[in-house]
Amino acid sequence: MNFDLNVILSKQDELLYGIAVTIFVWVVGTLASAALGFVIATARRYGGVLVDRALAVPVEVIRGTPFLVQLFLLYFGGPYIGLSLDALPAGLLALSIYGSAYFSEIFRAGYQSVPPGHVEAAETLGFTRGQVIRVILLPEMALLVLPPSVNMAIILLKETALLSLITVPEMTMTASAIGSQEYAFVEAMLLLALTYWILVELAGLLGRLAEKKLSRYRLAKA
Amino acid sequence: MSDTAISVQHLVKRFGTTTVLDDITLQIPRGQVSCLIGPSGSGKSTLLRCMAFLEEATEGSIFIEGDPLGFVYDGTGKRQRQAASELRRVRSRIGMVFQQFNLWPHMTALGNVAAALRRVRGLSRSEAEAKALAQLTKVGLENRAGHYPSQLSGGQQQRVAIARALALEPKIMLFDEATSALDPELTGEVLNVMRGLAEEGMTMVVVTHEIGFAATVGSQLSFLDQGRLLFTGPPAEVFAKPRHPRLEQFLDTYLDRGASTLV
Amino acid sequence: MSWKLFSLLLEASLMTIFVSTISILIGLVLAILLSAANLSGIRPLQWGGKFFISFFRGTPLLVQLLLLYNLLPVMGIQMPSLATAILGLSLCTAAYQAENLRGGFEGVPRGLVESADMAGFSPAQTFFHIRVPIALRLTLPALINEAILILKASSLVSVVGLVELTRMAQNLVASTFMPLELYASAGLIYLVINLTVAVLGRQLEQRLPGAPAK
Repeated sequence: MNFDLNVILSKQDELLYGIAVTIFVWVVGTLASAALGFVIATARRYGGVLVDRALAVPVEVIRGTPFLVQLFLLYFGGPYIGLSLDALPAGLLALSIYGSAYFSEIFRAGYQSVPPGHVEAAETLGFTRGQVIRVILLPEMALLVLPPSVNMAIILLKETALLSLITVPEMTMTASAIGSQEYAFVEAMLLLALTYWILVELAGLLGRLAEKKLSRYRLAKA
Repeated sequence: MSDTAISVQHLVKRFGTTTVLDDITLQIPRGQVSCLIGPSGSGKSTLLRCMAFLEEATEGSIFIEGDPLGFVYDGTGKRQRQAASELRRVRSRIGMVFQQFNLWPHMTALGNVAAALRRVRGLSRSEAEAKALAQLTKVGLENRAGHYPSQLSGGQQQRVAIARALALEPKIMLFDEATSALDPELTGEVLNVMRGLAEEGMTMVVVTHEIGFAATVGSQLSFLDQGRLLFTGPPAEVFAKPRHPRLEQFLDTYLDRGASTLV
Repeated sequence: MSWKLFSLLLEASLMTIFVSTISILIGLVLAILLSAANLSGIRPLQWGGKFFISFFRGTPLLVQLLLLYNLLPVMGIQMPSLATAILGLSLCTAAYQAENLRGGFEGVPRGLVESADMAGFSPAQTFFHIRVPIALRLTLPALINEAILILKASSLVSVVGLVELTRMAQNLVASTFMPLELYASAGLIYLVINLTVAVLGRQLEQRLPGAPAK
């Protein structure tokens, strides 16, 4: 086979645009997922048994079905219930809902990891519930929550590739298009894989650095 | 002002079908050390936790300096939860020290003591830290201010926890088996701090297995067994006069262990 | 939505189950070989294994499938889409399973390996008769979890032309214009399959001897 990366690389403007879209969707989607997941986990902790059980259902449904099906359901099925979204917002929304289910489980485990006594100590000192969450629970669970969160962020990065299937112009779609036009699909896919690989390794590296920084204290053995 | 700091009235606590506290009525006098003793599972810790509203009683009420804690009864005798802000106001008169210290592992000793001063009292960072350092000095740990809990011994952690509770200047201090999680050689430093507090006239309620401490520092002793309050009185009376058979049995097990510090 | 459509989805879900099951099993064999490479102490083998695992865990399955689907013909290999799908899924899950197994192999008590050595087992015998069974037992929950992940990931093999559950739903949408009902039904079928796997897995986990003490 003729292996020629140059034809691909000559389209660098389009490639860079695709990479930018991927990073945008990934970062925004991950942040939205984490925020929504935190809200779900907090509602399940403080909202009573009914809220807890009611929220368990969508969380399990999302975790039990493929992201691709969720994406198609929202993008192609949405218009039938008055939810007509362009590809990019639809993809972003689907990614955020998908990620939030997993993040909610991460935060739920985080909440459970904090000994109840640490919360009681804050309560007897007059902390409000918001302060307990902000000052005690979140920082205390940070070390435990960080590794699975980084892992989830990496999973979400890889899931963004599926957005190409609903025509979001991210890097998988861009690379596929260039590959087909230039009759260099294999080269395009190799370059694409390499780019994902680098991004994944970078995210993992950043995660490990953050973990190192956070672990200046160890959880006290009571 | 009355000289009752805490008034417990007909308190009942049930977990499911088990009755943990059975109709407890008890007055905690102001400016004195009241000790709650009894075998494990007797309900003494639960009673103390009810006094901080960490456990919600099933029936009955608790008054802190005359104000209801946790629940209020309306005209028809129906019980309602107190508003969160009112609960915080009443609870602010109480400081609590736990068996497991419950220091926050992500904050230094100074940070642990300063946190509530900043967040609850709204002091500036520097004011809060100055006050916190003064409290740490009081428990003899000013040179450990920058240490994280995991870098401190159990006794030091518990002294930080006491400083944390004292920082908000509570009227009443509750101690829940404050020395039970400590190695024997570390209990002394914590008991000394508690003794110092008692000498200053702090109102204290102490759940303890340290019968010696209860006998020498306590001015009121309450004995609980299987959720019932069997005896309340001055220590001398407890140890001298004919007593309840269960109390006798309980004290004997301590004497067997050579509790030579008894009066 | 008619029962006719739903039964077509159900039929297609058999392909999903088939492809996933075969891929999990092939992936497991590959993962054990990768673990052997890692434990062999032979540097090039170790590096090769690491590279494989890192690549397949570091890139999207969709990209791996697109690459494979286009690379094989260029290399002169003609394969039916079923084989391509199974190959793609197997390689990917092998990398994840090898990573799971690594924890399991680390959990094999040293004394058991030493006593096997003392009993005169060859290194290969120790590996296959002592280390592998114990590591598999220790990582059974991770394996069940991986099975569920692969069942979901198998929805992507539609891009290499295999008609499984998701592709069937897509095809039916194209002719009926009922995306809401069809994709929701497909999702429901995935959910039922995955819950079944989770429940069966938990029972297996409890019934098998040697459950790790809690």
